[in-house]
Amino acid sequence: MGENGIKLDIGEALRYLGVKEDPEGTMARAVETEADKLVRALRPRYVYRLFPVGQGRSGVVLQGSGVTLPGSLAGRMLAQCDQAALLACTLGARFETMLRAAQARDMARAVILDACGSALVEACCDGLEREIASRYPGRYLTDRFSPGYGDLPLETQDAICTALDAERRLGVQVRSSHLMNPSKSVTAVIGLADAPQPARVRGCAYCSLAGSCSIREGGKSCAD
Amino acid sequence: MLTDAWKNDIVLLDGAMGTVLQQKGLPPGGKPELLALTDPALLLSVHREYVAAGSQIIYANTFGASAPKLARTGHTVEEVVPAAIAVARKAAGPNVAVALDIGPLGELLEPMGTLTFERAYEYFRQIAVAGAAAGADLAVIETMTDLYEAKAALLAVKENTSLPVFVTMSFEESGRTFTGCTVASMARTLEGLGADAIGLNCSLGPDLLAPLLQELCENTRLPVIAKPNAGLPDPATGLYDMGPEAFAAALAPALDAGVTIFGGCCGTSPAYIAALGKALAGKRPAARHYDAVSFVCTPTTPCRLDGVRVIGERINPTGKKRFQQALLEHDLDYILDVAVQQEDAGADILDVNVGYPGVDEAALLPQVVKKLQSAVGLPLQLDSSDPAALEAGLRVYNGKAAVNSVNGDPAVLECILPIVKKYGAAVVGLTLDKGGVPRTAQERVAIARRILDAALSCGIPRQDVWIDCLTLTVSAQQEQAAETLRAVRTVREELGLQVVLGVSNISFGLPDRQLVNRTFLVQALGAGLTLPIIDPTRREMMDAVAAVRVLSGEDRDSRAYIARFADAPAQTAATSAAADSLTLEDAVVRGLRTDAARLAAAALNAGEAPLALVEGRLIPALDKIGEDYERGKAFLPQLLSAAGAAQAVFEVIKTAIAQTGGESVKRGRLVLATVQGDIHDIGKNIVKTVLENYGYETIDLGRDVPPQIVADTVQREHIRLVGLSALMTTTLPAMEQTIRLLHALPEPPVVMVGGAVVTPEYARRMGADYYAKDARQSVDVARKVFGP
Repeated sequence: MGENGIKLDIGEALRYLGVKEDPEGTMARAVETEADKLVRALRPRYVYRLFPVGQGRSGVVLQGSGVTLPGSLAGRMLAQCDQAALLACTLGARFETMLRAAQARDMARAVILDACGSALVEACCDGLEREIASRYPGRYLTDRFSPGYGDLPLETQDAICTALDAERRLGVQVRSSHLMNPSKSVTAVIGLADAPQPARVRGCAYCSLAGSCSIREGGKSCAD
Repeated sequence: MLTDAWKNDIVLLDGAMGTVLQQKGLPPGGKPELLALTDPALLLSVHREYVAAGSQIIYANTFGASAPKLARTGHTVEEVVPAAIAVARKAAGPNVAVALDIGPLGELLEPMGTLTFERAYEYFRQIAVAGAAAGADLAVIETMTDLYEAKAALLAVKENTSLPVFVTMSFEESGRTFTGCTVASMARTLEGLGADAIGLNCSLGPDLLAPLLQELCENTRLPVIAKPNAGLPDPATGLYDMGPEAFAAALAPALDAGVTIFGGCCGTSPAYIAALGKALAGKRPAARHYDAVSFVCTPTTPCRLDGVRVIGERINPTGKKRFQQALLEHDLDYILDVAVQQEDAGADILDVNVGYPGVDEAALLPQVVKKLQSAVGLPLQLDSSDPAALEAGLRVYNGKAAVNSVNGDPAVLECILPIVKKYGAAVVGLTLDKGGVPRTAQERVAIARRILDAALSCGIPRQDVWIDCLTLTVSAQQEQAAETLRAVRTVREELGLQVVLGVSNISFGLPDRQLVNRTFLVQALGAGLTLPIIDPTRREMMDAVAAVRVLSGEDRDSRAYIARFADAPAQTAATSAAADSLTLEDAVVRGLRTDAARLAAAALNAGEAPLALVEGRLIPALDKIGEDYERGKAFLPQLLSAAGAAQAVFEVIKTAIAQTGGESVKRGRLVLATVQGDIHDIGKNIVKTVLENYGYETIDLGRDVPPQIVADTVQREHIRLVGLSALMTTTLPAMEQTIRLLHALPEPPVVMVGGAVVTPEYARRMGADYYAKDARQSVDVARKVFGP
């Protein structure tokens, strides 16, 4: 666990590595070693901001943010919400530096580090979600969803980063291909409502990779 | 108009532009950089409010006026910059100065991104030239988080205009920028490069910035700037939490630390500047305490020379056949590997010498510098006698480097010192001149003094002059060892300079060279040597350094020494126990690099042919782990560990071949690239590792590679197989386009594709010849193309 209290999910990192069975625990130990180094060396950064939700012609409008969320997923997710949080989280350029250094030394260690980085940025988003929940008691949160989920286009990432001033505040840039740099960065939306919100996003039915997913081939799901 | 007040008086800058514009109704996501064209009256009103609040320098609205940021607006730098300066000038009147404001380009530079240093320089040059032509009084480079980008901007302003230039960067509370740059690295690099004032802006409020400003003041002699945010923003509203009076009051410690140039960043407004003006009225600049330590750095690794610092000697072709071969083959991965080994062995600085007959040093040195800085954190000492190579290397170096070397010859000093000065490097002075190496310590010290005087008169500070007292071979000139030690002692005691020695020269021609080297090292350290140039991968040499650091008191409570020896015996035991029954095949399958290399060397010594070793033992071992991987019995890290062990075997073979001049093992060449738009390249690197360790030679074009580059390379090098990788759906069109170009070539290569989003279906639709699910399948494809 890092000084910020974030603990990454070793099982998730193992899944990213495609490890399906590990009877002697050797892979788990290797992952734990890298995970430990990572949380000691890095402080993930995040930023979020709340905006009122409105309905525009081409999708859900987050008023005053310049962000419109087109498509049916966002409409469904935010149907009962009067506010939504935009958030961005990143492991920062220092993760990229660590990963480059690892690749120059030992590719095996590098791929483990890479998987740990993916798990860590997810864990950071989970932590941020809890922070938002505790900061607004009495409010109910929707599942977190991101550009690229369902029919929410990856392009939305650009506007979210602009609204959050992510370049200045996190050092995160969106390239013309809508990919973020540093690579271990996530943008997401969480709706806030006055009534409990059903789970809607997690699971294969909403995932664009469901057709080629190796976890599904094994009869499992990453949402389990 | 700009007076000289900023040089030694207190000066007031302006506050935020963006947040004030938003308060005046500009929506977030609106294009503030175009305001000089779209709404000059609004812009003018903000500038005027700052002038009325007491700003002595206002920043023109050019923060985002760079070509990459203007790209999608339909406007050019040459339109926006003069318009913005004109508006600011109108508000400024006769008594207030107008700064050309230069912000980040919005694209990450190499190695984090794909924007080259040279390209970034060109973008900044365009802004600087436009700003100077439009009559800006000074240039301000601000909100930088990457020291490399700040360097490109600073060089662009200094080389193309005569404007004074301020540079401010943004730090986190941890004392580092987003890219990991430290305050000391920033301060000493930018001062060396000729900035006129430096400071911190944005990211934090004045309270949290105070300790960093204090640190900055101790690390520079330049005027220091503070332009903090109005505290921290509230997530629900976006409003900053510090009012004008609190903001001004919180800057008091910065004034006491010696900051003289004040302003505000995000969340501040004219009211903040007015409050600041009131708080600073009648105040005088505080006395400064500069720490004049010798220093080199990269952004992430500051290296204070306040004890023994080891310079790694191994990046040097002299007497090393394998290294010479790597230089001739442009094998930068090999050079990086030599650097990595030295960093991991505990070196503090790496000497970099790539001079060899047949090598264009001025072209190669900057490439090597970039390659090393992509994966090694240590500061570099560029070792060359070619001024063009030194200048090219220093130019692209990120941080404060050292140069090895000059000597007492006036012609050499005159040629090299201005380059050292321009790039703010430290310099090694050899105590020899046209007359050769003087025989007495006294004469060598006299040359050291001449070098020091020449450096000082060139503007290079004393602490940046390091003197090499020269190690001569003791078996040839026995009395010279004592003279060298005498010179070391005198230079250290009388001139107080850093002292360098290439230690290993001492022992040529003697048996048990390491014993002589180590004994001389200890003697020289005792005499005052601070910068031994040694092979840090020689454990006994580094052990001696560790011991000396204990005896000198540098290693407090012997902590580093104890840690160094804590697990050493256990490791030795484990290796020897495992060694008995292990075969080369087992060692490769289990990913045991050291054992694999040892067993391969033994096999070659016993007369096994390199090719037989590769085909008969190495490849079958890789196939075994590869099959386990396919069946889900082994996983990617294990496959790559085996590849790592195979790599160690190949290294043994290459070294043996370089020494004997035999035929090298090559099973076919292919090109690998991550397609344009895509910057995630670990997948491609995995494929490269595995293919190379099957004996295939790869030309790695990197990431974000334009289709034409792939096609040109294939045509020029007569390549038969190309591997393309893409991670995101948004970059698949670039992959398709690359395939189309490749298939239109007169000799079309076979194209295999892979990556997270690529499916067999997509691959077929895009016209790829093969789909490779993973690195293992790419080997199968290579076998089909090049034969088994």
